[in-house]
Amino acid sequence: MARMRQDFGTLTLVMIPVAIAINIAVGQLIYSLKIPLYLDSIGTVLVGVLAGPWAGALTGLLANLIWGLSGLNVAYAPFAAVAAVIGLMAGLFGEGGWLRRWWKVILAGLLTGLVAAAISAPISAYVFGGVTGSGQDVLVAMFRGMGLGILPASFGQGVTSDPLDKMVTYLLVWLIVRGLPSRFKARFPRAGGVV
Amino acid sequence: MSQGFSLYLARDSGLHRLHPLTKLSLAATLLVAAFALPGPWSSYAVFLLVLLPLAAWGKILPGFLRSVARSVLPFAISLFLIQGLLWPGGSPVAWLGPLSLKAEGLAFALASTGRILMIVSSFLLLALSTRPDLLMIALAQRGFPSTLSYIVVTTIQIVPYFQGKARAILDAQRSRGLETEGGVRRRLRALLPLVVPLVLSSILDIEERAIALEARAFGRRGTKTSLQVLPDSRAQSVLRWAILALAPLLLVAGLVL
Repeated sequence: MARMRQDFGTLTLVMIPVAIAINIAVGQLIYSLKIPLYLDSIGTVLVGVLAGPWAGALTGLLANLIWGLSGLNVAYAPFAAVAAVIGLMAGLFGEGGWLRRWWKVILAGLLTGLVAAAISAPISAYVFGGVTGSGQDVLVAMFRGMGLGILPASFGQGVTSDPLDKMVTYLLVWLIVRGLPSRFKARFPRAGGVV
Repeated sequence: MSQGFSLYLARDSGLHRLHPLTKLSLAATLLVAAFALPGPWSSYAVFLLVLLPLAAWGKILPGFLRSVARSVLPFAISLFLIQGLLWPGGSPVAWLGPLSLKAEGLAFALASTGRILMIVSSFLLLALSTRPDLLMIALAQRGFPSTLSYIVVTTIQIVPYFQGKARAILDAQRSRGLETEGGVRRRLRALLPLVVPLVLSSILDIEERAIALEARAFGRRGTKTSLQVLPDSRAQSVLRWAILALAPLLLVAGLVL
């Protein structure tokens, strides 16, 4: 409990809105550049790595709820739980020192992508009838055309897009964290995993 | 305060004058109803009979319809095309060249679109008629943690600033010769010089914000007094509880019927 209060000190609290804004700004930028990735969790992973799993989970949860319920992109709101898990995993990877080696960074991204796809599929199938309303639906169509059920097709789409997206996300976060001055990083509660 | 990127449309209407939590309770109950109500037509009925009149009462009908269409159409199109055309083992009802629309797929698409329509429009009604900061104040008055309120309100305020920053960095890098059009590989290479400067410059002013907040006794415990007064009434309070009580009833009805 004391650890949690430490994790949520003022610095973390101030970082969370910035992280959410980064999620949204980068996500929208990537979309407008028509790059076939989401890159909507950079802030979430960053908070997880620097401030621990709970802060990361909260960031993911609130980011998706705000992005969705504000009307900016309604599709995000139901996936708040997925974003929370992404933040949680980022915290655990950070704690485990996974961000010290580039190949572990990529592996962390891959694992996160697989877990995200697994959790997203039932939500997508139940809330949105298995479609994403975006270009990714080409993948859904392909899997449905092969005769897969709604849930498997959704999972197929997720497994094809999420791991790559999360691997790129983790690599970007790794580069960013390396670019931060050490004295700044040391102010964060979980700096031990990344310095 | 600066509105940030919220969809809020200021109007002089009864809907706008309702307490934020009343509108939130309605959105929450409609969310439950979207999953609990049986049959594909009930969602459309609720949309026509409940949400459209409320939007009209709130004088936000054109904006409401525009936002709903923008959000729901991509899903509707994908649903009818993909599930309609590619439903495995379905019974065809219409032919489009070599492809056929299947009855089960269309029924599914109809039901799913209706549900998405109901969920999206109820939250859009809330967003269009409620100032986000007032909603957060109302929640804080009921015991919502102030740290969460701070996060939500600050995020809404700073997102446009960050979007502006992203655009500025994009323009600056483009003017230095960064290729952002063309093949996928070229566009992917543009990622690094766009994302990393944005994030690094954003993070470094966090320290200043933290110091500014601490100087304003942000971490101090105890209730905080708000400058804003939210008009409420006994009638609205009763209405809120009535609306929220509907939710479990709808759930039970949905399971039983």
